[in-house]
Amino acid sequence: MINWSLVDWADVWQATLETLVMTGASLFFTVLIGLPLGILLFLTARRQLLAQRGVYLVLSLVINVLRSVPFLILLIVMIPVTLLMVGTSLGVEGAIPPLVIGTAPFFARLVENVLREIDRGVIEACQAMGAKTYQIVFGALLPEALPGLLAAVTITAITLMSYASMSGVIGGGGLGDLAIRFGYQRFQTEVMVVTVAVLVVLVQLLQFFGDRLVLHFTRK
Amino acid sequence: MRSRAILVLLDWPSSYSCSRPVIRIEHLHKTYQVANRDITALTDINLQIEAGEVFGIIGRSGAGKSTLIRTLNLLERPSSGSIFIEGEDITQFDSAGLHKLRQRVGMIFQHFNLLNAKTVAANIDWPLKITGKYTPAQRQERVIELLALVGLGEHHDKYPSQLSGGQKQRVGIARALANYPHLLLCDEATSALDPETTQSILRLLLDINRKLGLTIVLITHEMQIIRTICDRVAVIDDARIVETGKVADVFLHPQHAVTQRLVAESHIFDNEAGLQVANFRGKLVRLTFVGDITYQPILSHIAAATQALITILQGTISRIKDTPYGQLLVELNGSEEDLRRVFAHFDQYQIRHEVLP
Repeated sequence: MINWSLVDWADVWQATLETLVMTGASLFFTVLIGLPLGILLFLTARRQLLAQRGVYLVLSLVINVLRSVPFLILLIVMIPVTLLMVGTSLGVEGAIPPLVIGTAPFFARLVENVLREIDRGVIEACQAMGAKTYQIVFGALLPEALPGLLAAVTITAITLMSYASMSGVIGGGGLGDLAIRFGYQRFQTEVMVVTVAVLVVLVQLLQFFGDRLVLHFTRK
Repeated sequence: MRSRAILVLLDWPSSYSCSRPVIRIEHLHKTYQVANRDITALTDINLQIEAGEVFGIIGRSGAGKSTLIRTLNLLERPSSGSIFIEGEDITQFDSAGLHKLRQRVGMIFQHFNLLNAKTVAANIDWPLKITGKYTPAQRQERVIELLALVGLGEHHDKYPSQLSGGQKQRVGIARALANYPHLLLCDEATSALDPETTQSILRLLLDINRKLGLTIVLITHEMQIIRTICDRVAVIDDARIVETGKVADVFLHPQHAVTQRLVAESHIFDNEAGLQVANFRGKLVRLTFVGDITYQPILSHIAAATQALITILQGTISRIKDTPYGQLLVELNGSEEDLRRVFAHFDQYQIRHEVLP
């Protein structure tokens, strides 16, 4: 039957920290890459400020290709690249490059959609005032879209957390690794239950604080 | 509050208000491509708008009025033709020139288009900020002046969502005036407002036009708005301008069928169809007075001088902007000679008369 003494709580704590580090670091790089990419997607789309059909189509294609690769496959395919970038494909560091490449395109699409939700009239008013494109982006679009962008970051953080756990399959660190090595391979169901429970709590917390932040910046 | 408003006036460059065309539009065409089909939005538009006037463009939805006003700051690029603003052909401007032009031309919108994430003050500050010409202190002072001008002094730190529609449009007006424009474009600025708020916004626009000598171009589908604040009007229908002139002229003597319908729909003049013309044995005449004679006892003079009997059947005495006008439907009874003398008096007083069949 269930024997909680099999659970090494120090390991669980360590794994939780690793998961948080992987999620946090990859979230940082995902936003760093995905936000400008999303803005560029938005601006180059049809009838937008920098409408550039060619640029839009190429960006869109790359994003779609990356998004259609199952994350587990991406993890494996990325191993040589990861080795080049961080020197190892294992552990916390080894998980970050595939996490970023896996979620940045997803986040870019979310950003594009959030920006599209802004009333065209507002952009037009800025143009009518004589604002330059960069002024419209930084002075109007991003502040207007802030609540939506924060919601997109929250969704992305949760996706990253679940992907980070998946990276345990190829030797990434964190709760996923713990669940696979002990919970799955050693049949210690207790460890599996605990890791899943910790993940549930973390996701709840992320969503809660994400929602609070969104609400705080909503002016509608 | 009042002293603040005066301050604004002193600040304003005094270079305008003389009568010279601010806008000259020549042979303007615009065609869109929608699903590989050409759609004509504007056909050979020629217009001249003088400095300091309130110029209205009226038409039904889809007539092209929205496209026309949006070409004036190149939110819409014309397919061909020229638009001269203060002597410069804006269709030839490069992007730097265009940004400068747009900073000099204010625009307000039907749905206000305020930035929801910024406070009222920050919304008005934003056009000042993007010019890069003012220090934060100068900008702050200007924002306070503008808020006073539109009567929103106490709403400085509110967000647009906390304001009523009329207040939002006032913020829109303050924002549009921030960079001392010579020209204000109003794109259906009151169409989303209730009648009372519409009147207050129109009064504000008229006030600004008078105090600052600002030229205003507005588009609308309501004759009532044209009548309230415009000096001249252009009627646009099916991508063409079909009639242009002083509001009183166009209003009282509409020439084109579209104009006649617009005037009829505005219900300013009572519907004469209700009259049973056959019941009257005398001559039915429609009289139109424009200007000061509207308020003079002319019919009494004529009646006394000619012995003719004048019966007023229907009538309207009102104003078009500042011009008083009257339109009366009268029945004349008397001898041939009396009637001839009555008409001679009408001509002498310059009263337009039209004998109804």
